Amino acid sequence: MDKEELIATLKTIVTPYAQDPDALAHIHEDTDFIKDLKINSANLVDVVLDVEEKFDIEIDNDSMAKMLTVKAAIEIIEEKLASDAGE
Amino acid sequence: MLGNDLVDLKQAARESNWQREGYLNKICTPAEQELILSADHPSTLLWLFWTMKEASYKVVNRLSGIRSYAPHSYVCSGLIFEGHEATASVNFDSYHFFIKAVLTEEMIHSSAVLRKEQLQNMNIHYLSNSPAYMDDFNQNCREYLLSKNLAGLPQITHRRTSKTREASVSHHGRYTAILYSGLPYSGSPQSAG
Repeated sequence: MDKEELIATLKTIVTPYAQDPDALAHIHEDTDFIKDLKINSANLVDVVLDVEEKFDIEIDNDSMAKMLTVKAAIEIIEEKLASDAGE
Repeated sequence: MLGNDLVDLKQAARESNWQREGYLNKICTPAEQELILSADHPSTLLWLFWTMKEASYKVVNRLSGIRSYAPHSYVCSGLIFEGHEATASVNFDSYHFFIKAVLTEEMIHSSAVLRKEQLQNMNIHYLSNSPAYMDDFNQNCREYLLSKNLAGLPQITHRRTSKTREASVSHHGRYTAILYSGLPYSGSPQSAG
């Protein structure tokens, strides 16, 4: 999956939680889940859980701590997928 | 330094399905989960812990300038209920927070401070949640003026003495809560350092 596809998949995941439709429509690598999309911080857990389900990966607490932007989410997904593939 | 967090319980019930698999595990320690799941009102206890963690995080974020999303690492303990209020501790890294919370049928609000005596000298204002909350506050409060500093963080200024200190603001659902410390009692000795 390339970066554009990953962003498109993330967009689908965050759509139910995003409260800023304009920011959601223009989602890009530097989009911040809380500051830009105005996702409630209690719903960021749902985003993490949805990403885990969608990509069949496990996001540990250290990774979750960093998952505040699209860019960080992509890095975490790519890293987990790569380490899963290496097992 | 202080931080606060508010949850509108009706809004939370609409927005969050905390019973979904894995949810509690991501934000609560095993001990916290046990207390939640054995409580008469599990969702109340969950949102109480949540506001305690978030209020503490706001202080850490202000002191360190670092943003992170690690509710699981903010460990709640020593919870004591007294009527509609609760006190507790939150530990994160080398920080130890003292918590005072207020619970009603409609909302939960937690305040986090680093020095226990600050709990005795806090002002909390509850307003309806609106983009004009700052104007609402300033029109209704004769003693203090709420504004934002250059970094965009809320601050409170005592109108008579112009003394300024930090404030913490939390919005959720129907409510806004504004927290700030009161002025030291007049006449109390101030250390020079």
